[in-house]
Amino acid sequence: MILDPILDIFRGQAITIPPLDGAFRANTSLEEAPVFAALPEADNLCQADGRLLATSGTKIYALAEGAAPTLEETFPAAISALASAPDGTLAVALDDGSLIEGGQPVAVPTGVSCITALAYAPDGTLWLANGSDRHPASAWVADLMEKNASGSVWRRAPGGAFTRAAAGLQWPYGLLPDGGGAIVSESWRHRLLRVSGGGVEPVLKHLPGYPARLSPAAGGGAWLAIFAPRNRLIELVLQETRYRYDMMAEIPREFWIAPALSSRQSFLEPLQCGGIRTMGVHKAWAPSRSYGLVVRLGPDLVPLASLHSRANGRRHGTTSVIEADGRLLIASKGGNCVLAPEAP
Amino acid sequence: MEPILRMEKITKAYRSVPAVKDVDFDLQEGEIHALVGENGAGKSTLTKVMAGVVEATSGRMTYRGQDVRFATPHEALQAGIAMVFQETSLVPSMTVAQNLYLGSESFLNRLRGIYISAQQFLQSLNFPVDPTAMVETLGAAKRQMVEIARAVHHDARVIIFDEPTASLTPEEKRHFFALLRRLKTRGVSIVFISHALEEALLISDRITILRDGELVATGATTDFDRDRIIAAMVGRTLSGELYRKRDAGHLRKAGRKVLSVQDISMGQMVRNTSFSVFEGQVTGIFGLIGSGRTETLKIVSGIYKRDFLRGGAIALDDRPVRYYTPAEAVRDGIAYVTEDRKSEGVFEIMSIGENLFGGLLAAAQEQGFVIRHRVVRKLAEEWTGRLSIKTINTEARVVELSGGNQQKVVIGKGLIQKPRIVIFDEPTRGVDVASIAEIHQIINDLADQGLAVVMISSYLPEVMNLSDRILVCRQGRIVEEMSPAEATEEKIMYAAVH
Repeated sequence: MILDPILDIFRGQAITIPPLDGAFRANTSLEEAPVFAALPEADNLCQADGRLLATSGTKIYALAEGAAPTLEETFPAAISALASAPDGTLAVALDDGSLIEGGQPVAVPTGVSCITALAYAPDGTLWLANGSDRHPASAWVADLMEKNASGSVWRRAPGGAFTRAAAGLQWPYGLLPDGGGAIVSESWRHRLLRVSGGGVEPVLKHLPGYPARLSPAAGGGAWLAIFAPRNRLIELVLQETRYRYDMMAEIPREFWIAPALSSRQSFLEPLQCGGIRTMGVHKAWAPSRSYGLVVRLGPDLVPLASLHSRANGRRHGTTSVIEADGRLLIASKGGNCVLAPEAP
Repeated sequence: MEPILRMEKITKAYRSVPAVKDVDFDLQEGEIHALVGENGAGKSTLTKVMAGVVEATSGRMTYRGQDVRFATPHEALQAGIAMVFQETSLVPSMTVAQNLYLGSESFLNRLRGIYISAQQFLQSLNFPVDPTAMVETLGAAKRQMVEIARAVHHDARVIIFDEPTASLTPEEKRHFFALLRRLKTRGVSIVFISHALEEALLISDRITILRDGELVATGATTDFDRDRIIAAMVGRTLSGELYRKRDAGHLRKAGRKVLSVQDISMGQMVRNTSFSVFEGQVTGIFGLIGSGRTETLKIVSGIYKRDFLRGGAIALDDRPVRYYTPAEAVRDGIAYVTEDRKSEGVFEIMSIGENLFGGLLAAAQEQGFVIRHRVVRKLAEEWTGRLSIKTINTEARVVELSGGNQQKVVIGKGLIQKPRIVIFDEPTRGVDVASIAEIHQIINDLADQGLAVVMISSYLPEVMNLSDRILVCRQGRIVEEMSPAEATEEKIMYAAVH
């Protein structure tokens, strides 16, 4: 109708959550996937010099098929990001904001204190995602509830200094070098961006969850890990500013009405009872706070297929995915394991 | 034992075409007698003769040992024969209680007294209907309940139910069957017309099968099974052919996403519903009555409006749309085939061609001020053939057609608009077995042609057989999507209920 543009001012823009259908059609692929390695809070996966590495709290482990994870290195703070350069140099970011490259501390630009992702381009350029300038990486839920938009993306050419490629982002959490730029996942805005010399351009919007890390796929395109789902209750809380600040002030963080890496740990958690479980059956379609979702993106970054651990599953909080030696590996931080599912 | 009602050599002809021919039928006291038959087999006509709605052309009817010939339904009702019609015959602008007492009012009526006694009466039948509610505000299932309550209220000795369970949920059906059994123990004789053969086999004592207006078989229910009934009804075995489980290899792949519904809300009926519809697929939507399926798709079709504030978003080909009238949706290629054909689907007293022409007008594909009868006639001839509408001639009025053929006219009215998305709401409700197969074929053909098809159904085997993806609706939202290959009746029902 001709008056719609005027009426929309009063109606406000509808905040909608895209349904899990089409390429996002729910399945139980992650739930049924074999466990490659049991690892508490398995987070960032990376391949360096033919070794498969995974972070877990303050430690880096080497993973191998059929063997227990072996400890490689321990750091003084939790590891928030890990990447390997083409020459095998390892870059490790810690939750205290420091960056270690090849075992040596590296000076980071002022304001960079929350490194959520690192990635090397084939030419050795290091890309760095700074999730927020207000909180460390481990306090991601506080950054979401405050609705901050203080994230930034930085690049460092070989032998050069860090330069800021994008700012004002809402928790950049994944990086995939692409030509001269990079694809960045912006979690709180549920989208992927292309960051290049020409600026910032959205390439995939309206994801059904909070996107985390990206990695290249063997046949072209990319893999995207989504660490938590969107649901109506959380969307409502995100619109109710006073309620949100009261909640943050008065309720322990693990019980906030907010996305989570895992749920069903305590009876004090929000979202329970008949909405989640009826007659002893945990409903797969329940509006949970946590979820496991990994998406295969085509060369044009259009979603092609997905793997899920649904509300009644345990392999939630999927923060990292890589394709190594023809095998797909997924870190489930909420499920405390690394999974090796069949690629869809 | 002498039957309470006996019909001998009953013939009823319309325009010299017999709808029933030399049919013998008898009904014992306190029995439930199922009357089954194809679309147009003459079941409704035979029962209309019993209930005085139409007069037999020839034949003899005895009731309680007396020869009778009812000229009006009122005469039959006075004698103790009541009919509950397939298409409810309640007065929409009156309350439930007023409808219950219609025809049996006192000279002076106290409205409050009527409401109280109606409330007590409805409660005794276990029907959760508010006696003060206007009938027009009730859904199909509750209207059916009021209709049944009215027949019981008139203390009838013979009650004829024409497709009573078509609009009831499984839970309501259980209540209804319990009611039938209670009536039976009170000595009430029941004639029960149903297309759901399992129901006939479950509830009835005897079964009579009609085909093309003639009696084919009659006997005790224990002598029949589903295959034998179907074979007698249509002259061939359809069992297994109609409702077989889909296997993963035969599912159509999703084409382009044409419709995206995101978090649409409308009061308490539709609450944050999200789903997508893809080209070249049948998207089946299952849900119990009141789960908001129809309302959701009516919002998509522009019949209802979503909430003004926070009403969600609908995108057609990634273009946001908000329809204020159904005509806008029709022009965008969305056709909605209604579940309530009598009040929303067809103009009953108009011909097939005129109804189809109405579809063209809605799509603005026909211009000008003058109705061109040549076009109307051509449409009737073309679509009667395409959809196998069984009619005496193409000039026939829709009211003269049987339920299944009326449904085909409603479908034709939608398809004539050359839609891209076709929404079928309970496409085979009140339709006989042979027509069900034909309507299913139409639905499959449309999906094979690349159209996006949405089918809402309360009948699980239908959803499982036709759909390429099954969405389950509960309390105003889509809760689950399943592939027909993995879905079972139990899984779908659990999602629909919990």
